[in-house]
Amino acid sequence: MVKRREEEWQRYYAAWPLKRPVMAKVVSDYFVRLHSHNFAWIHSLHYGVLRAHLYFRPTAPAHSTHHSAVSHLSLAVPSSATTMYQAGYHQNTAPPDMAQLQATMRSIELACSSIQMHANPAAAEATILSLNQSPQPYQACQFILENSELANARFLAAGAIRDAAIREWSFLETDYKKSLIRFCWLFIMKHAGSHEGYVQAKVASVAAQLLKRGWLDFTAADKEAIFLEVKQAVTGSQIVDVQYMGINFLESLVSEFSPSTSTAMGLPREFHEQCRTSLELDYIKEFYCWAQDAALNVSHRIIGSDSAIPEAKVCSAALRLMLQILNWDFKGKKNAVESSKRGLDVYCGDIKPESNFLGRSECILVQPGSLWRDVLISSGQVGWILNLYGALRQKFSCEGYWLDCPLAVSARKLIVQFCSITGTIFPSDGGYMQRQSLVQLLSGIIQWIEPPNAVLKAIECGRSESELLDGCRALMSMAAVSTPLVFDQLLKSLRPYGTLTLLSVLMSEVIKCLMENLSEEETWSWVARDILLDTWTALLTLDSSGHNDLLPPEGISAAANLFAIIVESELKAASASAFSDDNEYDYLHASVSAMDERLSSYALIARVASGATIPFLTTLFSERITRLHQGRGTTDPTETLEELYSLLLIAGHVLADEGQGEIPLVPKDIQAQFTDVVDADKHPVVILSGSIIRFAEQSLDPEMRTSFFSPRLMEAVIWFLARWSSTYLMPPEENKGNKSGENNNDAQVRLEHSKNALLSFFGEYNQGKLVLDIIIRISLTTLVSYPGEKDLQGLTCYQLLHGLVRRKNVISHLVSLDSWRDLANVFANERGLFSLNAAHQRSLAETLALSASGMKTSEASNQYIKSLTNHMTANLAELSCKNDLKHIAQQPDILLLVSCLLERLRGVASASEPRTQKAIYEMGFTVMNPILIFIEAYKHESVVVYLLLKFVVDWVDGQIIYLEARETAAAVDFCTRLLQLYSSHNIGKISVSLSNSLLSEADTERYKDLRALLQLLANLCSKDLVDFASESLEAYGVSISQVVFMGLHIVTPLITLELLKYPKLCHSYFSLLSHMLEIYPEVVAQLNVEAFGHIAETLDFGLHHQDGEVVDLCLRALKALASYHYKEKGMGKVGLGSHATISKDPGGKVQEGVLSRFLCSLLQLLLFEDYSTDLVSSAADALFPLILCEQNVYQNLVNELIERQTNQMFRLRLTNALQSLTNSNNLSTTLDRVNFQRFRKNLHSFLIEVRGFLRTL
Amino acid sequence: MSDEEHHFESKADAGASKTFPQQAGTIRKNGYIVIKGRPCKVVEVSTSKTGKHGHAKCHFVAIDIFTAKKLEDIVPSSHNCDVPHVNRTDYQLIDISEDGFVSLLTENGSTKDDLRLPTDENLLKQIKDGFAEGKDLVVSVMSAMGEEQICALKDIGTK
Repeated sequence: MVKRREEEWQRYYAAWPLKRPVMAKVVSDYFVRLHSHNFAWIHSLHYGVLRAHLYFRPTAPAHSTHHSAVSHLSLAVPSSATTMYQAGYHQNTAPPDMAQLQATMRSIELACSSIQMHANPAAAEATILSLNQSPQPYQACQFILENSELANARFLAAGAIRDAAIREWSFLETDYKKSLIRFCWLFIMKHAGSHEGYVQAKVASVAAQLLKRGWLDFTAADKEAIFLEVKQAVTGSQIVDVQYMGINFLESLVSEFSPSTSTAMGLPREFHEQCRTSLELDYIKEFYCWAQDAALNVSHRIIGSDSAIPEAKVCSAALRLMLQILNWDFKGKKNAVESSKRGLDVYCGDIKPESNFLGRSECILVQPGSLWRDVLISSGQVGWILNLYGALRQKFSCEGYWLDCPLAVSARKLIVQFCSITGTIFPSDGGYMQRQSLVQLLSGIIQWIEPPNAVLKAIECGRSESELLDGCRALMSMAAVSTPLVFDQLLKSLRPYGTLTLLSVLMSEVIKCLMENLSEEETWSWVARDILLDTWTALLTLDSSGHNDLLPPEGISAAANLFAIIVESELKAASASAFSDDNEYDYLHASVSAMDERLSSYALIARVASGATIPFLTTLFSERITRLHQGRGTTDPTETLEELYSLLLIAGHVLADEGQGEIPLVPKDIQAQFTDVVDADKHPVVILSGSIIRFAEQSLDPEMRTSFFSPRLMEAVIWFLARWSSTYLMPPEENKGNKSGENNNDAQVRLEHSKNALLSFFGEYNQGKLVLDIIIRISLTTLVSYPGEKDLQGLTCYQLLHGLVRRKNVISHLVSLDSWRDLANVFANERGLFSLNAAHQRSLAETLALSASGMKTSEASNQYIKSLTNHMTANLAELSCKNDLKHIAQQPDILLLVSCLLERLRGVASASEPRTQKAIYEMGFTVMNPILIFIEAYKHESVVVYLLLKFVVDWVDGQIIYLEARETAAAVDFCTRLLQLYSSHNIGKISVSLSNSLLSEADTERYKDLRALLQLLANLCSKDLVDFASESLEAYGVSISQVVFMGLHIVTPLITLELLKYPKLCHSYFSLLSHMLEIYPEVVAQLNVEAFGHIAETLDFGLHHQDGEVVDLCLRALKALASYHYKEKGMGKVGLGSHATISKDPGGKVQEGVLSRFLCSLLQLLLFEDYSTDLVSSAADALFPLILCEQNVYQNLVNELIERQTNQMFRLRLTNALQSLTNSNNLSTTLDRVNFQRFRKNLHSFLIEVRGFLRTL
Repeated sequence: MSDEEHHFESKADAGASKTFPQQAGTIRKNGYIVIKGRPCKVVEVSTSKTGKHGHAKCHFVAIDIFTAKKLEDIVPSSHNCDVPHVNRTDYQLIDISEDGFVSLLTENGSTKDDLRLPTDENLLKQIKDGFAEGKDLVVSVMSAMGEEQICALKDIGTK
């Protein structure tokens, strides 16, 4: 099959060159005509170029301009420059211009070929770069484009035009700009038939970019003139290549104007947005019509001829452009407003509102608004494109056309796109017209997918699958724009059955295909299945209003049949894979934790037919269990275990939703059915849940456990219990329906009744407590009886137990259960659970501590925490007092004990709640001293040091805001001692190892430590923001800000430049620093010279960091410092005092004051360096107060800047720009919001004005 | 003789608790483990199952703390592994002899002279330079399973 396709491709390509010479002649003929027609136009073009020259020459003699251009090049690459000089020298008979241009062209060509041959690429690169960066390289570039034989050189020249023009745009003459665009346009027209398509495409995109750059400056007439040409090329021309190029140009134009595909131009986002809006309002519909006309004109010729004709290229390009335009993100807000003003309902009839599809489905809804109705809907375009494709289908057996030929592909894509048109483009006729349009589309598309089994057979025999896949995509688009009922009805007018039935049959066939080829890598069936699943998801997901039509009965049975096939295939896949262990991390395993999306989609299908599917699952489940018991001891149960594993996952998905932190409700579809069930214990959901729980309970029996409950099966059991229990176990009372019943119709009452029966069956006063007890006992078993099974225990700790203690009505029962007390006891007092993974122990400790709030009184809760932690803290304290601690500390058993205990304490600390705060504070207080002792004893054992630090971080985080002043003083004192100890152990330490990976590990450990320390400081900071203490801290002489600055002073020397390469550390360091400077500038002023110097250096470093966020933080800090200084000065105080004035450093060097230093470096950054435009606003906020503080320094800098500018015109522009930077917009010298805003605006326009030439010269 | 005695003592001390058994599942990254009789530091742990419904096993990648050789091991996660007792002691550096040995001051005032200079160029240079400059140097000596090596260096201020 693949081979055949290759042959077809070869044929396709072979068809083209034959026609090229003919075409070239046609093109040149065309140009003769074009030239004579547009003589005036061309004339004006040359005139424009000429004028531009005149304009730029007078500033310097012609000779010196060229000279400087050469020397610029020569600076970069001496070798190429010499050739240029020589060339110029030898050809001095020719006009100097020409010689110059020739030389440049040759050097660029040379550079291109040497790059291709990898001969001295650096020099070649420099030559090319110098062309890009030289001022006004247009003439040279145009020369290269027109004369160079080398396609690469032409390509680069086009790029250079683009770069230079974007850079110099603000001081090019309008006529010259236009002439550049016209040059590009004429170029692509002239060389439309060229072999090197990529050069043409590049030039077209340059034209598009320049046009966009000037979009807001050019007058409407300018644009009209250009687009007239384009229109003529696209629709008026009979020459295939010219049409093709014209369409290509429009393609690059549209993609340039669409925000997601536009090229950066160093302009604010608003610019791109304005361009987008303008194009959408004024042009894009016209472009569409041109493309459509072009396609229409050639389509009859394509239909009429028996073999491939060159027009097919134009047609497919036009279709592509139409598709691209339909993909445009139509904002059309105005349309919606307009129509609602006219009193129309925007969300008309049965058509779903747009909101529920945002961000989910792959298919993009096309909502061009009512203005497009005439073009897309009323004009009968749908019929035309369907006919065209229909005619193409007849030709697939002919030469030159096949299923995947470009024309067929673009036609199909466009048809699929038509399916997703929705919104106000359709009149508000209750969706009638949209339905008509969809039916028409479906009548065409149905031929691609029906009858499903025949289509799939053909694909298996080697036919291309693309038509089927596009058919599936079309179904998905239709599903996305209609409700299940409408969707089902669509096919009824064409066939005796509904679309849902078709969908179900199609998908069943696809899944059968999948089943037959389990091992094969035939990806098309996977793709088809996924698209069809998405279709179901689109149909069945509740919309935002929570309103969901039930499917028609026929649809329900279609869904039930489909689900049966799905489950069958899943089970077959499961038993087939039972013995393969090569794909250990396959999708089933991943699905336990990652909640496979596919299973959720299956669940949606199952739920709409839950009347049939849930009993079906129960039957399958009990069959497997019976098989397990019958075969006990005689047959290998592995296959059955794997099937049970799959069934548990499927059942879990069908019965309950993932809570994602919330308490999920019983799925609506399940609630809505089973209204005839009276007895709760006959409810299918109860039966299925009950049989699974009874099965799970058998794992408590050791014998059963060893024979059936493998770790993997147990994982599924735990996962199911976690998911199921968050919906059904002891649901909160408010989830139940109102029993008073306002609308008392019979169906409603029965619905309420069955729902309540289901909910209360596992409720607090029914079976709930019993089931909870079973669940806890199962959990204890997985923790104790499955040693070393990390995944299983992780699921138990994080998902099951953690989920349970998050729910209020569960914990109050939990703490009264014997099984829970057993768990707590085993955990706190026995050594058995030390064998759990450390992180799991932490989580378990947190879980147990959280359950304390289930106690009736606060005293009981605190007592519970005490009894939980007493043993552990005593253990640590006792250990720390041992005389031989230094010797035994590093024994592996003691190491393990200490790390486990610390992990557990950390878990308890992170469970801090107001109710248990007292006990947790006590716990931390008891271990303060031991911790300081351990940090000494384990100074070489970085793992333990990290644990110690993390415990303190979490403990402080949970406690600090509640602490009374006295307690805070103790905690702060403790933290300071900890910091000092850590610093004294680590400063100046060099670790060595022969192994590089161990060394980098050591680096990472140090990084983690420092991050923890910074977190600790940040946590301390929060005390100043939120404080529940009854008396003020000052009484105890504690100032949080001073402590944190001291901490920073201790920590900063440990942070090396190497360490700042870790982005997280860098962020937390700079955010803490800038937070401190912003909140406490007055403390900064009091710092000593050394400490202040450190901070200033750090800020300077951060200012030049690559990471925009870091720079932003530093700018905020600078703003705070400068504003503080300025305001204080204004009040006659010292402000930053000596730090701000000129001072001498200890070495005797005169140093500028810190503010003027920052003023210099900030200006330098803004004017000459690279940065993201997002930073300009915050830079303005920092620059403004800096200028105000250091006005003299600023004046000097400004004068120097102007002096340096030799070009008179630029000098004038710079002077004016600097003038308006500080004077326009009524800027005054007070630091208030309004002024900051004004200065931001000023800086933005200042930079746009001057950066272009400052950076190049 | 006193040197030899001291030597003997420390040997005996280390020998008393060379290794400890610990469940494989509890050994974490950055912990220690004995693989093929060598004390190692774990740089990577991954778990897998023996067959779909079998039990978990741990796959350790570790680096010999003395020779920097990479070693690997697979152990069922419920089984015990040997974990070495890795001790680190700080000594003040008092002398570097010409034959490549260092003289260290122990906590109780005696000297320890049986340790060679490290082979690591970087550390060697730092020790020699620092010592020549008259800095107060503290070296950390790592010992495990009867072997010893200098593993870190710290300057505690100029004399």
